[in-house]
Order: sequence, then structure tokens, then C-alpha cells
Amino acid sequence: MLASWKIGLATLVIGAIVGYLGQRSRFCTISGIRDFFLVKDSYRLKGLIGIVIGGVLGFALVNKFGGSLEYFSNPGGWEFMPMLRNGLDVAPAILVPISAIGAFLMAYFSVMAEGCPFRQHVMAGEGRSSGIIYIIGLVAGVVFYDIAIMPYLQTLTVAA
Amino acid sequence: MEQNNPSRIARVLKWRPNLRLIGGRVRSWVMWRPSIKLSGNLALITGITMGVLAAVVQAYFGVQPPAGEGICAISHPADLVNWFVDKIAGTNYVTHDVFVTVPVLTSVGFILGSFVAAVRNKEFKFRSGPVRDNMLAFILGFLIINVGLLWGSCPIRTAILASYGMWLAVLILGMIVLGVVAACLYIKWKVRRAS
Repeated sequence: MLASWKIGLATLVIGAIVGYLGQRSRFCTISGIRDFFLVKDSYRLKGLIGIVIGGVLGFALVNKFGGSLEYFSNPGGWEFMPMLRNGLDVAPAILVPISAIGAFLMAYFSVMAEGCPFRQHVMAGEGRSSGIIYIIGLVAGVVFYDIAIMPYLQTLTVAA
Repeated sequence: MEQNNPSRIARVLKWRPNLRLIGGRVRSWVMWRPSIKLSGNLALITGITMGVLAAVVQAYFGVQPPAGEGICAISHPADLVNWFVDKIAGTNYVTHDVFVTVPVLTSVGFILGSFVAAVRNKEFKFRSGPVRDNMLAFILGFLIINVGLLWGSCPIRTAILASYGMWLAVLILGMIVLGVVAACLYIKWKVRRAS
């Protein structure tokens, strides 16, 4: 078991590497889909496709070289997309439409904000004022979610 | 007539292939090597790096469960805020188990990494935008975290989960595409109406 501070440090380092690359490449998942839909520009969309490629490769490599991952079902062997076997296994089922509506609205509002949540972090680091204020709104939103939405969601899922 | 011009016919008859030119072209075909332009594929490289690093940080640094928790711009900031609020106010808000004892600093890393990149490349500057109205930016940040937490992941983590074969993540990725398309159609309609 790793010491807790190592986990925190690892997330900081990984975040910094990804933030650096994100700033240099102008990476954005939402803008990737938007640009492709509006002007057929696939530069940023390749980033989203890259995550899927990197995820498949990363899981397979980690699995092969003995790393311990969730759904680690074939240690030491080559394995790709292991969660496919599980099917759409969500309990309670009410979470499926709630998640789908949440994702739809997140994407819709992200287009209005001109970037996905990751891109907003990157823009805040670049000194863009709306990115910084977006992050402040995000922090306030988390507190609101904890107070107002989470208890309601918990009763809804328990009832289901 | 230009076509029957004898000097032109003579010129055609005298034509000899420029062997040096053809040889140069043949040589360039033979010597051709595929070249990967990094600048044109930097977003792709960033995406692949994200996917691989997410697996590494989960497997070797214990950033799990849940699955695919390596990188996220929705649940990680939420966990960080909850960690601070719990410490300061003594509350017990929902935080992923792995981040109960230690704050998750991914979002701080995003900002720090971006800041370093911007300073190194002389792009750091306090300026307005891209959302013109700061109040609107605040409201959008507020709304996006609330609707995003209903699913619990940003598009990056959704793509990571889809790459692990999670059916729900594939469905959610489809919903994200639909959401973007709906917003684009709304913007197009608004522009058309204004013009």
C-alpha cells in the first residue's frame, strides 16, 4: 500500500504533465467534437480519439507488466477492453438516464463555455479571466451539489 | 494557326526527356520516408499520453477504485473541494475512498502545468475571455460541475472508461456528442436569426 502523500504527489505530477501538454496542443474534448461538426477540422478530435487509443494501450501494457488495475482479470497476459464482458451493468438502473442527461447538459454548457472542464483549467493557467472565474464557479458548484443535489440523489437511488 | 505552326511541331519532334529531372524524381520516390509532423498531431499525442498515464497512475500509484480514476477534471476537483470542506467545516461529504486521507491534486497540476507551459513559451498574460461575460463564466462553471457530477466524470475520464470497454461510458460519450451537436445547432440557429 502506497503512502497517502505519494498518491497526492502522483496526481499532482500527472496533472502537471497533462496540463503542460494540454496547453501546448490546445487539447479540448468538447471543442474537438464542435470543430469537426462545424468546420470539419479534426485536429482536436484526434485528441479524444487518442485518449481511447492510449487507454486501450495503457490498460494492455499495465496488465502485461504486472500492474494492479480494477477489472484486472488476466494478469500477465494481453487483454484489451476487459469491461466489455460486463455489459450495461448499472445498479440502480435509474442512474443510466440521470447520467445520460447529466452528460448531455455538461456537453451543451461546455460548448457555451468554449471548452471542456480540462480546457478551462488550462485556460486558467494561461491567465484567461473567464477560465479563472469558471474554476471559482466550479468550486461553488461542488458545495451546492453536496448540500442540495447529493442528498436528493441518494434518496432517489435508495428508493430505486 | 498555332496548332500548325512548323516551329512548334519541330520543337515537339526535337523533344528529349530530361533524364536528370526524371532521375531526381525517381530518386526522391525511392528515398521517400514517412514523416510524422509532431505539430499537426500534438493533440493526438496528448490524448494517447493521457490514456497511458491514467493507466499508470491507477496501477502503480493506487489512484483507484473506481475504475478509470486516473485523470478527471470533474470528480477530482470535486474530491479536492470536499476534502478541504471536510477538513475545515468537519462535514462528511462524499469523496472517493482513495482521496479521503490525501487531497487529489490533479486539477492543481493541470493549472500548474499549463502555467509553466505558458510562461516558458511567453504566452502567459492576464486577459479576458474566451467567455465575454465573467458572470456567465461563473454560472457555467457552477452548472457544469453540477450536471457533470450526475455522471461523475469529465469527457476525458469518460473516454478512458470507454477504452476499458465500459458500455455505459460508450453511451455517455454518445450523449456528449449529442450535447455538443445540439449546442452547435442552437448557435447556428441564433446566428442565422440575427443575420
